[in-house]
Amino acid sequence: MGIIHGEEMVLNIGPQHPSTHGVLRLKVRTDGEVVSDIYPVIGYLHRCFEKHCENVTYEQVIPYTDRCDYVASMNNNLGYAITVEELMGIEVPEKVEYIRIIMAEFNRIASHLLALGTYGLDVGAFTPFLYMFRDRERILDMFELICGARLLYNYIWVGGVSHDLPKGFVETAYGFLDYFEPQVKEYNNLLTYNKIFIERTADVGVMPPDVAISYGVTGPNLRGSGVKWDIRKDEPYSIYNKFDFEVPVGKGELGTVGDCWDRYWVRMREIEESVKILRQALKALPKGGDVHQAIPKKIRPPKGSIYKRTESPRGDLAYYITSDGTPKPYRLKMRSPAFTSISVLNEISRGWMLSDVIAILGSLDIVLGEIDR
Amino acid sequence: MKQYFLNIWETIISLSTGFGITWVHMLNIKKGNVTLQYPEEKWPRPERNIGFNHDDYNVIRSRLTVDMDDCIGCLKCMRACPVDCISIETVKAETRGEDIKDIGHVGITSSGSKKAMVVTRFDIDMTECCYCNLCTYPCPEDCIFMTGGPNADRHPIDYEFSEYDRTDLIYRFAKKGSKEKMEAQMFPKKEKAEA
Repeated sequence: MGIIHGEEMVLNIGPQHPSTHGVLRLKVRTDGEVVSDIYPVIGYLHRCFEKHCENVTYEQVIPYTDRCDYVASMNNNLGYAITVEELMGIEVPEKVEYIRIIMAEFNRIASHLLALGTYGLDVGAFTPFLYMFRDRERILDMFELICGARLLYNYIWVGGVSHDLPKGFVETAYGFLDYFEPQVKEYNNLLTYNKIFIERTADVGVMPPDVAISYGVTGPNLRGSGVKWDIRKDEPYSIYNKFDFEVPVGKGELGTVGDCWDRYWVRMREIEESVKILRQALKALPKGGDVHQAIPKKIRPPKGSIYKRTESPRGDLAYYITSDGTPKPYRLKMRSPAFTSISVLNEISRGWMLSDVIAILGSLDIVLGEIDR
Repeated sequence: MKQYFLNIWETIISLSTGFGITWVHMLNIKKGNVTLQYPEEKWPRPERNIGFNHDDYNVIRSRLTVDMDDCIGCLKCMRACPVDCISIETVKAETRGEDIKDIGHVGITSSGSKKAMVVTRFDIDMTECCYCNLCTYPCPEDCIFMTGGPNADRHPIDYEFSEYDRTDLIYRFAKKGSKEKMEAQMFPKKEKAEA
């Protein structure tokens, strides 16, 4: 018996819907319960980031980059700071590099915990969400210790960081890592190897590697499809080439390569890799040194333009800055990884049930603050 | 058939593993309690940000405050603000570093510099503030800061400053009546002519 085509219906999901991870609206064309087309409507959170940056000075852009990917602000700060530094030719002290790596990796863990926790929530597991948020809270407490803010830090500046590490931070960080490492095992037992979770995610929303590459998908979503591409490894920025870590890729252990479970599993293993990097960085962290040493008095890059990419928890985060020699950027473009991730949604969720769309959307780990900018 | 029973078996196993973990957490509820009954209990305020040296840095993000006796009206904080929530107006003082008693203007700051300006308006719109802390760094007299931190003895930390009216969140720090007074001083003849 062939597939019977019924009358198509357009269903609207969002913008106020807990499963769309923000103010995203999906126009879903359904045939019965089978999805035939998805049209994501974005822009509800648009606040003219790029145009606004042309009207503020280089240091004033940093609080705005915080608000793009508000789950991983440190990584956004880092990407912007590195780009401007390269444009100006600033060498930052080694201690600053280490502090930046530590912050970026802590924020990567926090971001992945949020992604995995809410993903569990999307497919019906509430408890792991609470446990992961409990641990994320401890990372945010550490950030509060460092810079006073819990979510939008404005910590990594051009040429340095805003504050030196507080006394006793390294011990606190080690304490957290010692506490956290066994927790990953607990998450795995609770959620990753749960039969119901596997049934909901394995073999669902398969993104073949060629589709992922042709849509420009990066980060854990691309690695979930089995492509080993990590900018920290393949195009090292800052001091990532000093650290020894693996790039986890999806292998399709419980289904097809590139399914939702693979993308989930890549994130879970990236948390472990981040812990590895953190242990190395905390060990090698230089004691002395002034973190404000290389901060320029006036940020006025020479004429020219630069494109520099970094690996944020969501993927390839890049800034394109054109300078005309004034204290304000002439043009600033941000390449956001979540924006390319959402574009592939239509392609990979066609033919799946409506409830699977929520699982696929959750596995892409989008942040609307970054999509809309 | 075999697969059917295998699925049932795997489901039971994974469910019992999950329940086992949650049960352990439930039995440890006293030890592992992570939430607070917020309005009744609060995080102890000093300990919240303690564990490092407060003297050097202002690492608190809370309400902005200005010590007007120290402000010299250099407008550096206004220029640093990325959202333009600070607005300052100044008038040149007649004599540098002299007190003006009527409006409570203090001529010399606590660090000893003589003021050349009288600040007639210093408004911070906390509804617009993005708590980026950029305004506190360039201040030469350290007179604008977020409450708590190194100035905790003078201005205890305050996270909870919600208001019923939006206009109550616009903080006006300038000395009362200073604007009228200074304008009357600056344009005395004009007013007479109008009268």
